[in-house]
Amino acid sequence: MIRTIRLARPFAAALLTLALAACGTTVERLGVEETRDLSGAWNDTDSRLVSEEMIQDVLARPWVQEHTRVHGRAPAVIVGEVRNLSHEHINVHTFIADMERALINSGKVKFVASRAERGQLREERKDQELHAREDTRKPMGRELGADYMLQGTINTIIDVEGKTQVRYYQVDLALISLADNTKVWVGQKKIKKLVKNSRLRF
Amino acid sequence: MRRRALRPPLVRMLGVMAGCLLAAGCATWTQSFREIERHLAAERYAEALEALERQGDADREPLLYQLNKGMLLHMAGRYAASNDAFEQAKRLIEHYSALSLREQGAMFVINDAASAYAGEEHEHVLVHLYAALNYLALGDRTGARVEALQVDLRLREQAARGGSDYVESAFARYLAGMIYEDLGEWSDALIAYRKSYEAYQRYRERYGIGIPEPLKHDLLRLTQYLGLRDEQRRYQEAFGIAEWTDHAAWRRQGELVFILHNGLAPTKQEQVAAVLDPTSGHYYAIALPYYRPSPPAIRAARLEVNGIAVETEVYEDVQALAKRTLDLKMPAITARALARMVVKARIAKAAREQARRSNDNSLAGLLLSLTTEVATVVTERADTRSWATLPSNIQLARIALPPGSYDVRVELRGSGSVSLGAFDLHDVAIEAGRKTYVSRHVVAANP
Repeated sequence: MIRTIRLARPFAAALLTLALAACGTTVERLGVEETRDLSGAWNDTDSRLVSEEMIQDVLARPWVQEHTRVHGRAPAVIVGEVRNLSHEHINVHTFIADMERALINSGKVKFVASRAERGQLREERKDQELHAREDTRKPMGRELGADYMLQGTINTIIDVEGKTQVRYYQVDLALISLADNTKVWVGQKKIKKLVKNSRLRF
Repeated sequence: MRRRALRPPLVRMLGVMAGCLLAAGCATWTQSFREIERHLAAERYAEALEALERQGDADREPLLYQLNKGMLLHMAGRYAASNDAFEQAKRLIEHYSALSLREQGAMFVINDAASAYAGEEHEHVLVHLYAALNYLALGDRTGARVEALQVDLRLREQAARGGSDYVESAFARYLAGMIYEDLGEWSDALIAYRKSYEAYQRYRERYGIGIPEPLKHDLLRLTQYLGLRDEQRRYQEAFGIAEWTDHAAWRRQGELVFILHNGLAPTKQEQVAAVLDPTSGHYYAIALPYYRPSPPAIRAARLEVNGIAVETEVYEDVQALAKRTLDLKMPAITARALARMVVKARIAKAAREQARRSNDNSLAGLLLSLTTEVATVVTERADTRSWATLPSNIQLARIALPPGSYDVRVELRGSGSVSLGAFDLHDVAIEAGRKTYVSRHVVAANP
């Protein structure tokens, strides 16, 4: 009898610890490159795959050299609209920001502020005219005009049968010349996932 | 050792029942909703939200909590926060679509409300609809388009399960059509309008809702623009309309889309039947849910703007949808209630026999038997849970207007065109080729 109690006590303590541990919030740090799919919806890994593919492609193609050869300066790009035509509320800014950073850091391409960003800049310039010292004042009307606009779409096709889904994503991006509407680069990334939802839960 | 023998597994169920009894209290879900309803009738949205938080549904009924929270935030005009709640609700709907054996078991021993509320089919569709309206109110047409696609997915999935008797949500399709149209995606818009038309044809036989006038004009305008002559002629004959605004003229104007969310959907009520078995002294109790029809006080809204007067039409009868959903489920609910009655009678019998056997402590045995009897009756409650902040019906009016800023007079009318109140919408901006959505939820106090 005594032996049973002696064994039972640590066992009960272990059980209690387990129960308490299950109740508390746990945090585990993940590497940004690590893939962890939870719901099957668009996630950070998809965004990263798209930006990696697009960056590699856009830097490898001859449009930059071509532009520099003809105009004698690096091309300036503006980010236009990337339309989300998919079934999910997808944040497109993550891979666009990745692309922007990679292109700027390559030193071959310049980016100009987008429509949303430049409003604030113009306001600041207007403010400088009134309040800033003359030698530090930045005049209006000297902005760099963009040569190309980055536009794109995200599309999805979803096929469902019972609890199984095939999710297909296609991201298309294009650089379009503002001078004559020609497309100088088109990038594409396709992602396909099979999502099986559980039929049972606790 | 004797004590252990006194506890067969069936009697242990008593403990479970008592626990559930304490957790549920004695009020059904419907009864605890009254306070929120009172605040809504007086347009006190902040207070209604507080009352919702106080109910403590966030843990007990996460889906109902998120649905109601999303709806109250939508009424309060806090659209982004409302969509956060609806996103949570969508995730919970996915989660609860998997079957829980534990809950299924509890439904056969305690009551139907012992399972987590997974939402009804029409509620699953309406989440997307209200989320879309939130995005439209925020000026995010792409976000609304995402919801239109999700609704399509949801309806396809329900149609696959529903069989031949299934009817799609006509209004969800119609709203999707308007969203596509607003984005200039004409063929997608026509497909959505076509599906809406098909569904409204079924609605006419089932709920007595006719095909809305604007839908007829949309179909004619788009088939003409897309050059689908045969289809256009067929619509022309079916509707008896000879003249309509063509695409180019229509694009030069803007449009006011006024959506009236009328009243509150009826809540489920409970009916209990209990019979005493004179030989054993056992109460056989059975509780079933039902809807008490309560037609909303407001029949329609009359809009006056720029010298034009238009009345809203019913586009979705939520009350009828809810009733039909329950009707379809009633056989299963009744069968479960009967099975439960048998299980509970067995539990009570086991407790009675226990009391008889334990002669040495007859008072305790008697108490146990009595408590079991009471518990089997009291735990028999109908599942009256529903998304109660939904309107009774959804009405809509579309008015074409030249670009500009307008003041709109909205008069609420009861039966016999009696005025039940009015309000003004100030400085409604209309842009050419675009739709301006104005959405109002009017919860009139119960007549």
